[in-house]
Amino acid sequence: MNSRIRHLALAMIILYVILFVQLNVIQVGRKNTLDSDARNTRQTVRDYNDPRGDIRTKDGVVIATSIRNESGSEFEWQRTYPKGDLYSAITGYFTFAYGATQLEKTQNDILAGRTVEQQIKGIGSLFNGQNTTGSVQTTLDSRIQQAAKDALGNREGSVVVIEPSTGAIKAMWSYPTYDPNLVAVQDDELAGDVLRYLDSMPGKPLLANAYQERYMPGSTFKVITAAGALDAGLINSESSWPDESEFLPPQTNDPIQNYANKVCGGDLAEVFRRSCNTPFARTAIALGPQKMVAIAQSFGIGEVIPFDLPRAVSSQFGDVDYFKENLPLLGIGGFGQGNTQMVPLHMAMVAASIANNGMMMKPYVVAATYDHNGSVLRRTSPTVWKTPMSSSTSALLTELMIGVVNEGTAKCCMALANGIQAAAKTGTAQLNAAGEPQSSHAWMIAFAPAQAPRYAIVVMLKGTTPEISAGTGGTLAGPIAKKVLDIALAR
Amino acid sequence: MNGTSQPIGAARRSTEFQLVFMAAMITATAYTLASLGKNSVIPPRILPFLAVLLLVLMSAHIGVRWLAHGADSTLLPVAVLLNGLGYVMIARLSERLAGLQTTWTFIGVACFIAVLFLVQRVNDLARYKWTFFFFGASLLLLPMVPGIGFSSGGARIWVSVGPINFQPGEFAKLALALFFAGYLSENRELISAGTWKVGRLNLPEPRHLLPLLTAWGFSVVVMVGQKDLGSSLLFFTLFIVMVWVATEKTSFLVIGLGLFVAGATAAYFMFDHVQTRFAIWLDPWSRYEAKGFQIAQAMYALGSGGVSGTGLGLGDPTRIPEAKNDFIFAAIGEEMGLFGATAILIAFLLLIGAGLRTAMRTHRPFEKLLAVGLTTILGTQAFIIIGGVIRVVPLTGITLPFVSYGGSSLVANYILLALLIRVSDSSARGLGEVPNTATSGERFAVRRAIRKSKQHPDDQDDQS
Repeated sequence: MNSRIRHLALAMIILYVILFVQLNVIQVGRKNTLDSDARNTRQTVRDYNDPRGDIRTKDGVVIATSIRNESGSEFEWQRTYPKGDLYSAITGYFTFAYGATQLEKTQNDILAGRTVEQQIKGIGSLFNGQNTTGSVQTTLDSRIQQAAKDALGNREGSVVVIEPSTGAIKAMWSYPTYDPNLVAVQDDELAGDVLRYLDSMPGKPLLANAYQERYMPGSTFKVITAAGALDAGLINSESSWPDESEFLPPQTNDPIQNYANKVCGGDLAEVFRRSCNTPFARTAIALGPQKMVAIAQSFGIGEVIPFDLPRAVSSQFGDVDYFKENLPLLGIGGFGQGNTQMVPLHMAMVAASIANNGMMMKPYVVAATYDHNGSVLRRTSPTVWKTPMSSSTSALLTELMIGVVNEGTAKCCMALANGIQAAAKTGTAQLNAAGEPQSSHAWMIAFAPAQAPRYAIVVMLKGTTPEISAGTGGTLAGPIAKKVLDIALAR
Repeated sequence: MNGTSQPIGAARRSTEFQLVFMAAMITATAYTLASLGKNSVIPPRILPFLAVLLLVLMSAHIGVRWLAHGADSTLLPVAVLLNGLGYVMIARLSERLAGLQTTWTFIGVACFIAVLFLVQRVNDLARYKWTFFFFGASLLLLPMVPGIGFSSGGARIWVSVGPINFQPGEFAKLALALFFAGYLSENRELISAGTWKVGRLNLPEPRHLLPLLTAWGFSVVVMVGQKDLGSSLLFFTLFIVMVWVATEKTSFLVIGLGLFVAGATAAYFMFDHVQTRFAIWLDPWSRYEAKGFQIAQAMYALGSGGVSGTGLGLGDPTRIPEAKNDFIFAAIGEEMGLFGATAILIAFLLLIGAGLRTAMRTHRPFEKLLAVGLTTILGTQAFIIIGGVIRVVPLTGITLPFVSYGGSSLVANYILLALLIRVSDSSARGLGEVPNTATSGERFAVRRAIRKSKQHPDDQDDQS
């Protein structure tokens, strides 16, 4: 019988070796496939049940935090957003079934305490049970953010305030938006219903319109055309344009008209502050498709904005071959009409680059990240993204934009409190074709104080209501920009 | 048989003491780690826990030292290590079940010592083979008796008598192994001789085969009547292996395999739940909603464990269905990783090795076959359930010996272990490694005889 017992032993060994091989296949070979299977909620549950650090504004206001649930509930922690909808575009939401967005997504490892550095620093806490969650400090200023929300009210649009010298975002608000507390609920079905409802609403409240959408910029784009033409030497402060109400570009019989068909002309300062269209159409066509497109590219148009929030989009101008065949469109593109599309954040960066001697900084919202002891893990250092103009051109443009505030299209509304001088450019982007009902976006880009800029701002109102469509960038966006800048500068 | 052989037994017991002590320490450490991982606190009652643990394990060790001095030194330590790691995982999953499992462990160890005490000459058990046959058969049929048998989780394998619920199948497998060993050791020559000619085949006389076929019939009954595929497969394997080892005829292995394939095919076409099990085995992902999620969750758990595991108390094994029971291996694989899961596999291989070595060392056919049978039960049962969890074979619900939660399983396996250790001790006595002294039962009988003779000296005088 002993030889049979030996065979039995051999058979058993073979069976167990098969088990060992299969264990290796599952735990080593297929680990990644299994971990990333859609029905595998382990990682999400682990994230969701872990304590999670705070997200704060620069001035210390907590805008996302975790509170402990009453015992007996399915999950130990509940993510809450104390300021409701005010910071939803920054924090995003953190859910069990629907993942996370914005900083909750990009800073997940820091907030959950899962970076290698935090794990090493937190080894001691294994024994005293302390959390090793990290926290995120944003660049936002709670007063300016609140001011932006209050000033915009229930009109659809976006407000972005940026620090020109660094690219730090001080406020970023768009309406409509949503309250992340309604999404970060324990009931998955409810969360799904809320998300589907928000997704179906007009105005795309789930998108951070300030940097995830693009709109026709209208005359605010003239700063780009002007900057490019000045740097190219095509125009200078002495240049002047004839008084005319319209201009017939090549390749067409359809003339380009000024706003409201007004007769408009004069030297550079005058056509800029009065926002004449024909001089900029002539300038764009004179520069030609190649140079004009290169100028747009030098401002980063066509590239995805290098932002530290997810899914930023790119502004658009058009390509050389297309404009060669369509010179009239190049002309109207020169004053921000036609196919030109700008992301509101990008327009704020354009204003900020003029305020920053021609250097466009990378925008960012994460000022620094901290470990559980409050020591800094990483601090964002400002970096230059583009240098679209020379510093002399930026100085001249500043003068031109001061003219807009003092005697031009923004005269109505941009006189800041305490006599602080602002520099600005208005924009009213015509959306309707001739004969259709009036429809236009209202824009304002500005920075202040003009000679030592601390804040650059963009205000953009979508032309979704007759009230907005009937107004101009100066009359509609101007007061909003003034209110926000007044509060920002009141220290 | 002589003075110089004494140290072998002493050395084995001293090794066993050290190994049992280490198993206790590993269990206590794992228990502490699981608590740290789950609640970030050192368990407040860790010292009493360690004390009770050592007390229980050391009583088992002392039982072996006292009653089976020459037995193999690895069987008990490996079994208590499996029991300990299983306990840690159960405690980590549910504190209430941990309390119950503690009670079952106490009872299991008590039964272990009791069996060592009551069965001191294992060969004597061969005489009761028919008792075991009827005992095992009734146990198997018990769950089908209306009133006391009931289903849980799809299989009708439970019996409820008063306040006690138990799975008689766990004990039936021991009774059947004892019966097979007794019957085959007596009739193996007759069966293998094959005097009944059917065509060109030499088959054993039908009357010699009948008891075996009856026993095999029971395994079919279990499968059909109780929907317990795992136990059925286990009984069948036990039956085939023991007949094959006893007769040394490979034809029985071939016939057995043929019967198995036929039975499995018939079952596949007759029963929906067999088809479902098989389909899920082939592809659990597309049948996720239809019970495939069990296997899928086990896969996720094992995958998230990876090589080194999430760490005790740091994984998420509560998401695995039946994690405390059939799927405990997946929970171990998640939190202790490939390393921990492999350690479990090695532990079972050590048990199998020690069991089969015992079978080879003993010269009595009954003891040999009993050791083969008991080892086959342990090794096959662990393979069926581990293989089911990791998709080597279709999943059939059955416990992982010593590791899974469950009173019947734990107690039955401790009895199985006691019998193996008893055979091992007997083989050491047979080989002269330890003195073949009288057992306490025999000494008691002798003392009674002497006392009797002293009380009635006249009788003795008469006889002389």
